[in-house]
Amino acid sequence: MIALTIDAIIAIGIVWLALQTVRGANVFSAIIMFIVFGLIMSLAWARLHAPDLALAEAAIGAGITGALLLVTWRRVHVLEGRTPQVGMAARSLWLTLPTALAAALLIASLGWVALTLPAEPATAGELAWQRLPEMGVSNPVTGVLLGFRAYDTLLEMAVLLAAWLGARVVASELRPGALPGPAHEEVPLVGALLSLVVPISLLVAVYLLQAGGSAPGGAFQGGAVLAAGGVLLCLTGRLESADQTSLIERIVLILGLAVFSSVGLMMLPLGEPMLAMPGVWAIYLIETALLLSIALTLVLLFAAAPGLRRSS
Amino acid sequence: MMDWLLPLTGIVLLLNLILGMLRVYRGPTAADRMLAALLFGSTTVAVLLVFAEWMDVPALRDVALLFVMLAAIISVAFVGLPESDEGNP
Repeated sequence: MIALTIDAIIAIGIVWLALQTVRGANVFSAIIMFIVFGLIMSLAWARLHAPDLALAEAAIGAGITGALLLVTWRRVHVLEGRTPQVGMAARSLWLTLPTALAAALLIASLGWVALTLPAEPATAGELAWQRLPEMGVSNPVTGVLLGFRAYDTLLEMAVLLAAWLGARVVASELRPGALPGPAHEEVPLVGALLSLVVPISLLVAVYLLQAGGSAPGGAFQGGAVLAAGGVLLCLTGRLESADQTSLIERIVLILGLAVFSSVGLMMLPLGEPMLAMPGVWAIYLIETALLLSIALTLVLLFAAAPGLRRSS
Repeated sequence: MMDWLLPLTGIVLLLNLILGMLRVYRGPTAADRMLAALLFGSTTVAVLLVFAEWMDVPALRDVALLFVMLAAIISVAFVGLPESDEGNP
């Protein structure tokens, strides 16, 4: 009964927040609603016993998306020289309602089909679960990501790299103007904040990477946390955009893809299939490389810059 | 006794969130909304810690850790916002 009450509060909260995000009174409150939506969403993942997703939601939602939206809002504000006050809901109500109804119908029919579908006796999940001990990692998510659908994970990294390349091409045309630096330099607390949060983000990223073997965590969450530290450095003006991508940045950007592919090809001459993992060490090696690539890609995407350098 | 105490704590915290939502919804200034959102972050951390104990999912403490660590980023992004903000609805 109590559990049901908690779930009901969370479920109603999610729907209400989603509604407020879509039809907020103005852009700023919609952004705040979206940030709060992410918080409640992670509670929902927690209730669904999916701490992996809650971790990803926390790392991406709290660390990067919120800051990205706020900074974008600020850029629009600066570029247009006025408060962006698009009455979103009023302008597009005739479009919002049918879209929302169609989406709700789609979700409802999908859910209905999923509920009425007979349970398959032997799914791939069962098989993967039984063979998991052979992988050497006890966290099923990491096992599946790197062992049973490694090809998917490899291509996800390729997608991330392609996304950055795309942003790089567009950014050179539509380079967002540098923001007038907030007066952080004079605030003594900023230095103290950075000296606390940035090392801790590095520590937590490595912890999540290491924990990924046996508990929720892994390269994606760790990379997002590390990126959050970088985003903070960008926001406080400690890092600024450079005109060129330096050699080290290029290497780190492709590191994940390169290490993953070369380890995956390594077993081919021995008669193993492609992307067969030679051992637990390979999993950790790949995860480390993925973490570095993910973190740098996210920070560069956030800064909309070809490269970063320390501000003088 | 602990069986109902932890979920009840969770409910009280969630009700706190609902009351906080009123502040986010009504504003009236951007700073009000931002502070309410930060308060939400702290309450979410509390709820996650309660859930971790109640549902016996220790990994939720890591999620709480991330929220505590990353809450600063949104406030820094917000501080950089210009003065004449948002316009009251």
